[in-house]
Formats: sequence, C-alpha cells, structure tokens
Amino acid sequence: MTKTYPKASRPSLDNVSVAIEKGEFVFFIGPSGSGKSTIIKMLLHEVAPNKGRVVVNGKDVTSMRSWKRPAFRRSIGCVFQDFRLLPNRTAYENVAFALEVIGKTKAVARRVVPEVLELVGLGGKEHRYPHELSGGEQQRVAVARAFVNRPLILLADEPTGNLDPDTSIEIMRLLDRINRTGTTVVMVTHDSNIVNQMRRRVVEIESGRIVRDQARGVYG
Amino acid sequence: MRMKYVLTEVMVGLWRNVTMTIAMIITMTVSLFLLGFSGLLYQKVGDMKDLYYENVEVSIFLKTEVSAEDRTALEAKLKSDPLVKESTYVDKDEAYKRFQEMYQDAPDLVNAVKPDQLPESFRLKLVNPEQYKNIYDQYKDTGGVDEIVDQSKLLDKVFNVLTGIQNFTLFISVVMAAAALLLVANTIQVAAYSKRREVAVMKLVGASNWFIQAPFVLEAVVAGLIGAVFALVGLVVGKTLLGGGSMASLEGLITPVSWSEIFLIFPLIAGVASLVTAITAWVTLRFYLRV
Repeated sequence: MTKTYPKASRPSLDNVSVAIEKGEFVFFIGPSGSGKSTIIKMLLHEVAPNKGRVVVNGKDVTSMRSWKRPAFRRSIGCVFQDFRLLPNRTAYENVAFALEVIGKTKAVARRVVPEVLELVGLGGKEHRYPHELSGGEQQRVAVARAFVNRPLILLADEPTGNLDPDTSIEIMRLLDRINRTGTTVVMVTHDSNIVNQMRRRVVEIESGRIVRDQARGVYG
Repeated sequence: MRMKYVLTEVMVGLWRNVTMTIAMIITMTVSLFLLGFSGLLYQKVGDMKDLYYENVEVSIFLKTEVSAEDRTALEAKLKSDPLVKESTYVDKDEAYKRFQEMYQDAPDLVNAVKPDQLPESFRLKLVNPEQYKNIYDQYKDTGGVDEIVDQSKLLDKVFNVLTGIQNFTLFISVVMAAAALLLVANTIQVAAYSKRREVAVMKLVGASNWFIQAPFVLEAVVAGLIGAVFALVGLVVGKTLLGGGSMASLEGLITPVSWSEIFLIFPLIAGVASLVTAITAWVTLRFYLRV
C-alpha cells in the first residue's frame, strides 16, 4: 500500500506490503519520519492509504465507513509514548473509564479491572493518581487500559520512549506476557536495546520503504 | 449506568463553565420570551381580526337635507347590490340612541347634541369586507350621500400597529437567538476543549459517536430548556402584571390572553429551544471534535 500525505514531496509509505500473523510480535523500526507511525494510524483507521488495502482481523478496513470505526477499535488496544492517562482519575478509574464508555456496566468493571491491574503488576496501587505513579507505572496503567477489553491486537507506538532502560525492559516483559496470551503485538520503536534483547520479528522501514524483514532480528 | 453517566457529565459540564451557562440561559430566556410574546400576539391578532371583521360595517352617511326620493333610490340600489350582504337604515332617532349609548360616560356631550344634528345613514355589511373600495367608488357620487366611512380602515390601522409590534418582537427574538446560538457554539467548544483528553481516550477505545457527543449536546439542550422555563415564567408574570393593571381598560378592545394560551405556547418555545440548541451543538461538534 502507498500513503502520501497532502503537501508531502514523497510518499510516507511507498508500496509497502506486510503480512502479520495472528499472535505474532512484530517490531517496526526505522528513523524518525520513516513512516512507522503511519502504519499504526492505518491500522487504527485514522488515515486511509491512497493505494492498496489494509486488512485487519480478516476485515478490509480500507474503505470502512467512519461510523463503523468505534466498533472496529474495540478489537484493538493502543499504547503511546505519552501514556495518555486522565490526570484526574485514579489508575482503577482510568481503566474502568475505557470499559464504561463502551457500555460495560460498573459490575463488569469491578470484576475485571483489579484483575488486569494485578496482571500488569500494579496490585495495591489501584487508587493512586497518575501523578503519584512513576513513568513505568503510568505506562503499566496504559497497558492495562489497552488490554482490559482483551483485544485481538495491541498497537504500541514507542511505548518505552519516555522510560529509562530498566523500566523499559519491565514494560517489554509485560508486552511479551500479553503476547503469550495470544494477542498480536505490533510495536513501533527506535530503542535498539529492546529490539536486540527480544529477538522477535523486525521490519525496518526507511523513507517509506521496507528495507528488511527478519524473523528473529536485531536492530540495525 | 450510561444514562447516569451522561446526566452527570451534563451537570458537571454546565457547572464547570457556569458563567457561560448563565449567559446562555439569559439570552435564551430573552429570545424565547420574545418569541412567545410574538406568538401570542399573532394568535390575538388572528382572533381579533375574526371578531372585528365579522361585525365591521361600512356606513353611508346622508346629507342632512337629503330628499326622500334620493333615499329610496339609494336603498333600492343597496338592496340589489351583490356586494352588500345586509343593509340597515338608521334614521335620526336611531342614530341619537346609538350616540347616547356610545357616549354614556360623557353626559355633557350627549346633552349638547340634538337628534336633529345627527345624520341619517345606511349601515352595510359587506359580503367581503375587503371590497370596500368598490362600494366607495360606486356610491360616493350618488345623490344625497355625504360621506362613506369604512370601519375596517380604522381596524386596519390598529392591526398594522399590532402586526408591526409582532414583527419587531420576532425580529429582536431572532437577533437574540443568534446571540444565544453563538454562545451555545462557544460553550460547546470550551466544554469540548476541557474534556479533550477524555474525548481522545473515548475515541481510542471505541466509544460510539453518540456517546461522545450526547453530553455536549444535552448540555446545550438543558440550558435551552431552562431558558424556555424562564421565558414561560416571564410570560406568566407579564400577564399577571398587565392583566391586573393598565391593560384592564383595554380589555374590551384587545381580546384577553387566557392562561391556557400562555401554557400552550410553552411546548412551542421549549421545542424551538431544544431543537435549535441541539442542532447548533451537533454542528459545532462536527467541526470541533471531528468524531
């Protein structure tokens, strides 16, 4: 597929073709502006390609109507570099919010939220506010929020970009654990340490083209 | 749960931006009050037109020295005129009696006038009151006719004034409504901005569009409905004040506004308020949230 943003001199993604199997763990690496984040945006149905197709969970979402987007997004979890937590809500409330706004009852939230917070290693810190948590802990809350719905796919856009190396590794262990439950994990990063340690599939993008696709790759 | 969530969000939203909420409600109230007032006036003018035009008469006054032949000729002509539904001859004594009745509050005036001084006349009811002009052209040069007076001409003046007032209030109401709607749009923008993080998360996790928009739209609608209630209170207060005071003397002239008419206008202003605010809020969100 190809994506050219208006006013851009060259395509952000140029004739890129990637197939990711269910349950895989894939890194997209490459320098800034190489088009990695555009892939995430396409998988989220935030932007559409100019040419080619995007198929997610067996459904062609290239020309999906925007009113179907909410239902589609419920099958995808998302984690970002900047956590995107609500500052006036506790860890528990942040995760529960994601459930409640898609129509789940408070009773469901009471059952599954402590469970998922336990899973990400935040047992006992449910009632802390984001500013009372460390960066790593905040990212754990974000992961819990992304995973609480048991999505088929977890997208992570530089999830360790704001974290120190030790904390980053803890977050990666967590993503690995989530991947082992059968969730496909797609992670965009330029953290070479992490890629080298994980030894998972690496797709390298440069100037909108795939220059490498290795099954158990390392960074550069 | 979802209903409770939405309602809580609405109340929190209105309270968070309470100065704008008050401004929104005040402009809404004034606009809707004027709309209601103009609606009532419209009804009244309609009622009064029915009532007055039903009884309106064209009077053909005869010269004091009119001859008997002229009078009989005119009477015959009127009886056979297809435009005239009914014609009544009023002689000097009859005219004097009517005069006494009309000015019973002013005995001096009644005493000063003798039956002889009042002209004889024919009182006509027209098939269609608007054809007055034809009657006037036809009879103005007939022998013995002094003057032709059309009461509907007088009524038209009154109604023109009332219609003018009605159009003016409607105009002010629309101008106020425009101000109110700009405030609604602004309030929605501020609300959407203050909840941008929540909205971003909701979009990300796949909350439905109506669920994201509903609190904002309802916020505007609730403010609009509060404005409608205040406007109703304004109309009620207006009737109480005017009904008991200075307007009482006009009771006979202007048909009084009943309570039921005031309360029936409420669904109109409440409907206009909620519909218009909802549409404004929704359109603002389309531009501002891009959901």
